[in-house]
Amino acid sequence: MNKIATPIPEDLIRKMFRRFTEEEIIPRAREMDEANEFPRWMFEKVARTGAYGIRYSPRVGGGGGNTTQFCVMVEELARGSMSVAAFTAMQCLMGTNFLYEYGTPDHHERLFKPAIRGEKVASFALTEADAATDLAGVKTIARQDGDEWIINGSKTWITNAPCADFFTVLCQTDKSKGLRGLNFFLIERGTPGLYVSKKFDKLGTRATEISELAFTDVRVPFENRLGKEGQGVSNLMRMLGVIRAMTAALSLGLARAAYEHAARYAMERTQFGKKIGSFQLVQQKIANMATEIWASQLMVYKVTEMIDRGERPLKEASMAKYFASEVACRAADEATRVFGAYSYSMEYDVQRFYRDCRFLLFGGGTSEILQTIISRECGVF
Amino acid sequence: MNIVVLVKQVPNTHDVRIDPKTGNLIREGVESIINPEDRHALEAALGIKDRLGAEITALTMGPPQAIEVICEAVATGADRGILLSDKAFAGADTWATSTALGLAIKRIGEFDIILAGRQAIDGDTAQIGPQVAEFLGIPQLTYVRDLEVLEGKITAERVLEDGCERIEAPFPVLLTVLAALNEPRHPTVAGMLRSASERAPIEVWNAADIGAKALDVGFLGSLTQVTRTFTPKEARNTRHLEGSPGSVAAQLIQCLQEQGIRLGE
Repeated sequence: MNKIATPIPEDLIRKMFRRFTEEEIIPRAREMDEANEFPRWMFEKVARTGAYGIRYSPRVGGGGGNTTQFCVMVEELARGSMSVAAFTAMQCLMGTNFLYEYGTPDHHERLFKPAIRGEKVASFALTEADAATDLAGVKTIARQDGDEWIINGSKTWITNAPCADFFTVLCQTDKSKGLRGLNFFLIERGTPGLYVSKKFDKLGTRATEISELAFTDVRVPFENRLGKEGQGVSNLMRMLGVIRAMTAALSLGLARAAYEHAARYAMERTQFGKKIGSFQLVQQKIANMATEIWASQLMVYKVTEMIDRGERPLKEASMAKYFASEVACRAADEATRVFGAYSYSMEYDVQRFYRDCRFLLFGGGTSEILQTIISRECGVF
Repeated sequence: MNIVVLVKQVPNTHDVRIDPKTGNLIREGVESIINPEDRHALEAALGIKDRLGAEITALTMGPPQAIEVICEAVATGADRGILLSDKAFAGADTWATSTALGLAIKRIGEFDIILAGRQAIDGDTAQIGPQVAEFLGIPQLTYVRDLEVLEGKITAERVLEDGCERIEAPFPVLLTVLAALNEPRHPTVAGMLRSASERAPIEVWNAADIGAKALDVGFLGSLTQVTRTFTPKEARNTRHLEGSPGSVAAQLIQCLQEQGIRLGE
């Protein structure tokens, strides 16, 4: 009997999701975008691949994968539809991570395991009208009352909120402690006092629903605080590198889609009796897109390799997210220029890339705040 | 019930170009995939397993990297995977390949059903399934678009050139299937990651493992050899018909009659 090298798991995950994206997502991406609503049927189709559990232990029904494999998966999904990739990322990471790490056995059985099977939708609520990167500005308050917490306040720009079954919500328990007074809480849909607004009408990622949440004397059991008292922000910081690497991977997927469409069109469209790809200024666009995409790829997977080694490369993850999201926006912009007036028509997918890429500039930190963070990490502040 | 599914790793022919000078496929940078119709064969096996219970073995022959299609089959639900890989198998035509696969199936042991795609997209011969059935001396049902497994026998609908037929065969039997048979499921993430681990139920067999003699398999066991591949030149003879619609129609009818095409009364 022979012994041969086992395949590289990342390669298998990439091939698997490349085909899934080509067979299941790309043919329906425009339809999902135009429908402008959460495609539960697609959410369930993705669930059947076991995607939502990729980061979690097989002990709880997960795939046992690492950050590199997770990022490869969302990159391939983003190549087909940023909306699908965005709700998948929410379900795999922010929406379920705190429940997995700090939930009770009851939370695991009733909510976490059904979520990674795609039977329940998860959401994560951090941003407020006056607080996002500035976490100290969080005004949603959780006050202990016996063996319960009473929560009051509001959140905005909450991905999946209109369709979510449960929320991981950042609240302030003690204003005097600043960032150490912040904690995450589990709030289930249907809890009295929880109000979910109507969904936002957005420029892009139209098949991912986003809305506001309001809490008026929402009572949850004591064990719904996810994590030890005062450790909400430090627990979030441990995850921040993964969030930024993931957003960089989403950016890479969109940039590849824009590039592929532009390169194909450049070899089809003729002007002056020649393919437009034979003109040097079009070639320049293709060359720049390809070069920047390669650079993004090297950065993203260098960061995930560091995370998988147990490091916390916050500076590098911030650089990768900043660079890759800007590359995605440049690639989408350049693709529309290669398409010329046709990019202005809703019949071509490049207009969707152009709208969806804006989503990447905000999640995981804006380019502006990331530049501040990177500079600070470089010792200049 | 024991089911063997034959799978093959092929270049994704959506991407394939042919070198005009050598006539060979340009494989550089071309992705390798599981042969599309083999996914339908695997799905048929998984459907039988879901309904009646079965032990599924996925089998392929190829270079070491063909392990990927076995991983995919196991990640999709096959219980076991076997890759036949040995320099002795290199250069095999369809007969030598069928011989190696047949010997491997004999070593696997008892089986009730063998499933395969109708043909692979790289060679398009559709010969492997029938030849494996001949080698093993069992009935074969080819071009299957519908099937039903009953106690000890199988009923299948075969697509023919001028229609279709529904026929029945006892076990053991080999079927080659069409894409119309079913919609294949995707592998799972957990399955993919498990299949790439050392613990995966995947074995690699060489020529000695299946008792193959050097003259029976690979180049030496092949009855045919490819001497040249080329792209046929397209020879179009276009004639432009001009005039009023009535005159163009009359000219067209005359052209067709000159070609011996009967146009109805």
